[in-house]
Amino acid sequence: MLDLLVIGAGLTGLFAAYAAARAGLRVRVIAKGMGATHWHAGTIDLLGYLPGEQKPVADWVEAVPELPAAHPYRNLGVDAIRTAMVEFQRLVAGAGLPYESAAAGPWFAGVAGGSGEQDGRNSMLISPVGAPRPVYLAPAAQQPANLADTRPMVIVGLTGMPDFYPTLIAENLCRQGHRARGATVPLDKLTARRDNSPLQLARLFDEPAAQARLAEMVADVAAGERVGLPAVLGLHRHARTCAHLQEATGARAFFEIPTLPPSVPGLRLDTALRESLAGQGVRVETGMEACGFGTDGRRIEWVESETGSRPLRHSARNFLLATGGILGGGIHGDRCGRVREVVFDLPLTAPQARSQWLRPLFLDSRGHPVFQCGVAVDARCQPLDESGAPVYDNLWAAGAVLAHTDPIRERSREGIAIATGYAAAAAVARDVSPPPAADN
Amino acid sequence: MHTVSLHSAGMSLDACIKCNICTSYCPVSQVTERFPGPKYAAPQSERFREIGQPRSPDASVDYCSGCRVCNEVCPTGVRIAEINARARAQMVAEQGLSLRNRLLGRNELLGKAGSLAPRLANFLLHNRLARRLAAALFGVAEQAPLPRWHTEKFTRWLARTDMHRLRSDRKVVYFHGCATQHYEPFVGMATVLVLEHLGYEVIVPRQNCCGLPLLSNGEFGAAERYHRRNVERLTTYIEVGYPILGSSTSCTLTLKEEAPELLDLEGDAGVRALKLATWDIFEWLRERQEQGDLPTDLHRLNDEGKPFTLPYHAPCQLRAHRIGKPALDILAQIPELELRESHARCCGIAGTYGYKVEKYQIAMDVGAELFGFVAAQYAGLEASSSFACTACDSETCRWQLEHGTGLPSRHPIEILAAAYGLYDLQARRPRGGN
Repeated sequence: MLDLLVIGAGLTGLFAAYAAARAGLRVRVIAKGMGATHWHAGTIDLLGYLPGEQKPVADWVEAVPELPAAHPYRNLGVDAIRTAMVEFQRLVAGAGLPYESAAAGPWFAGVAGGSGEQDGRNSMLISPVGAPRPVYLAPAAQQPANLADTRPMVIVGLTGMPDFYPTLIAENLCRQGHRARGATVPLDKLTARRDNSPLQLARLFDEPAAQARLAEMVADVAAGERVGLPAVLGLHRHARTCAHLQEATGARAFFEIPTLPPSVPGLRLDTALRESLAGQGVRVETGMEACGFGTDGRRIEWVESETGSRPLRHSARNFLLATGGILGGGIHGDRCGRVREVVFDLPLTAPQARSQWLRPLFLDSRGHPVFQCGVAVDARCQPLDESGAPVYDNLWAAGAVLAHTDPIRERSREGIAIATGYAAAAAVARDVSPPPAADN
Repeated sequence: MHTVSLHSAGMSLDACIKCNICTSYCPVSQVTERFPGPKYAAPQSERFREIGQPRSPDASVDYCSGCRVCNEVCPTGVRIAEINARARAQMVAEQGLSLRNRLLGRNELLGKAGSLAPRLANFLLHNRLARRLAAALFGVAEQAPLPRWHTEKFTRWLARTDMHRLRSDRKVVYFHGCATQHYEPFVGMATVLVLEHLGYEVIVPRQNCCGLPLLSNGEFGAAERYHRRNVERLTTYIEVGYPILGSSTSCTLTLKEEAPELLDLEGDAGVRALKLATWDIFEWLRERQEQGDLPTDLHRLNDEGKPFTLPYHAPCQLRAHRIGKPALDILAQIPELELRESHARCCGIAGTYGYKVEKYQIAMDVGAELFGFVAAQYAGLEASSSFACTACDSETCRWQLEHGTGLPSRHPIEILAAAYGLYDLQARRPRGGN
């Protein structure tokens, strides 16, 4: 019998499964498809903006207590968030994809404005259109994009690569007072293919010959500046591509700027998580859409998933809902305006009339009610009913399915995933094997 | 007409959010530019496909191998592979079908013809001159791993050993499929031996091809005739509650889902009954295991005291069932068996795809991920004189695995039969005569 069945294979589900397996639990993950990690920029955005604020958060440790009382971060507290982040960093470092505070990365040390204090500091990195985005942890290749570094930049695009516009990015950076220019290197010297998605290019740059050629071409267009490239620098041999570029560009730093999906930094993170899970003996079953469940009193006995024939039953002692929000598919809104949680039909903090889903302005600074809806949980990450009591004794929820947070506006998506996923896994572990009671 | 876009697959295309996850995992578009990827070929092109229009807007859909990895990874539930299969059928309806694809779609007929004189058929087909001719005249790839006819068909073995077969009140029906009937009767033998070991009498009714090769080559009309005939022949058993078990995972998938859905037969009561009665063999065995009905007298596979390393690849067709990897759950009980789970997406061959001269290299390039995985499992192990093999639930995938790795490949049911001491894994025959 499984100790924990995780439903959902995004950052939340995979990280929670890893944490639970490390705590000695028998875990399995089922998911409808690949998780939303493929859409992420590959950075860990913990808390970029407080509700209603235009100014980015400089240090999340200081900002968390200012969040509304019901926010998942307030539920957990700063220490629990910090513990989860440390565990996450341990996992990815072990998988060869180290994440560091972007404010304390090796590239940034000694640069004017840099600081040794890194506890909760955010850094401003560069978005795919050259806008600043507040980030807490970044993989090595994205850390040098830190906008506090005042050295000039050249943003290098690849001709023929869709949806990456170096001139646009550079112009936007200049408008913010940074020194930047755009340049391109010809992709047709590297590949005869014409359909070059970021992933296809990353696979190309796994090949040594292409790595060397790219490094040469980048050295040609860079005139002593920091070099920004689309995040396509290798998928499985990413570190080697970076080493090549490092050698060719000399002392100048280079960095990756995330692209439109498929996001290569997101894929690298997904790969690191899956490989770590395989190492823990945890199976991740994809293509399994949860479609029903059975209960005995206040306990969930099993969850069923859809198959080509009869439903498949998954029994477990505990169940973790990590199916995501509206985008991830954990919450579904229908044409009549009904919004529901798709697996257990849990109570949602949602507007139930379609006219209340959205505010009239697309970019309203308050966000849209429908994207803020979710499942309310207690401090142990157990979903609550309207009276504030747990709906089931062995059900837990984490990640984007949670209520009282707006990850899009807060820039908190990955932070919520990691912090609540870890907290839920830890709570399940305590439940399954409680610490031995003191004799007296 | 089967390409009306009001079927469930067509409706599902509105769920596409263009996230490109399918393209990220598509093994074919990774290795060739001829296929632009599932998102372009299915949900995007589908919007431009209209009934009665003179030409299909995107002929590249013919390069979809039908492996269904896109369906598996899609986070929003778009039935991408089905949309592609329908688009291909539409192209066949418009432009006709090559003789080669017509032949490849009829492996039952080919199997029967060869079984009349298997040695002669093997000689005629398995020599370089014939393969060259077949490549030049028909476009059947010269290197592709064609199977050999076995000298004794599965059903003939069954008839010959009838007096040894178990009679019991507990009965199951076995759907063996064409490959077991003509090329790999030993897979059928292993299945029967295991089922009898569990105490079940195995009924093998007359049956024909499940129709999958026809569906993959866009011949929906012929596939429907096959499927309806199978429904007719199996209905009496379903009515008395016997489960229909299959060892060919692509056949069971076709009976469960591919045929009913692509042929728009989901409303037919007989088709639906067959869909619900069909089990992949290990899916059913896992159910027995969970009920505590699976015998535990499993022995290790080699007697040298060394663990037996077994790379296992769950083929795309099995993953498309959405039942997980039940063979892993069962084989894990075999002592000293070191199961190594492949996470490769596809072996490349995808049924008849890799046999086509213009697609052979694509299939081999797709398979490289799997071949590399298998090779890595033996790296660092001292060369052993004892038997080594891979395991995979689908016949064409096993042939491709053998072709790509040089190692023999076995159905997991053969592994299980061997562990019960019923079957010789190396020689592929039942132990104790028969």
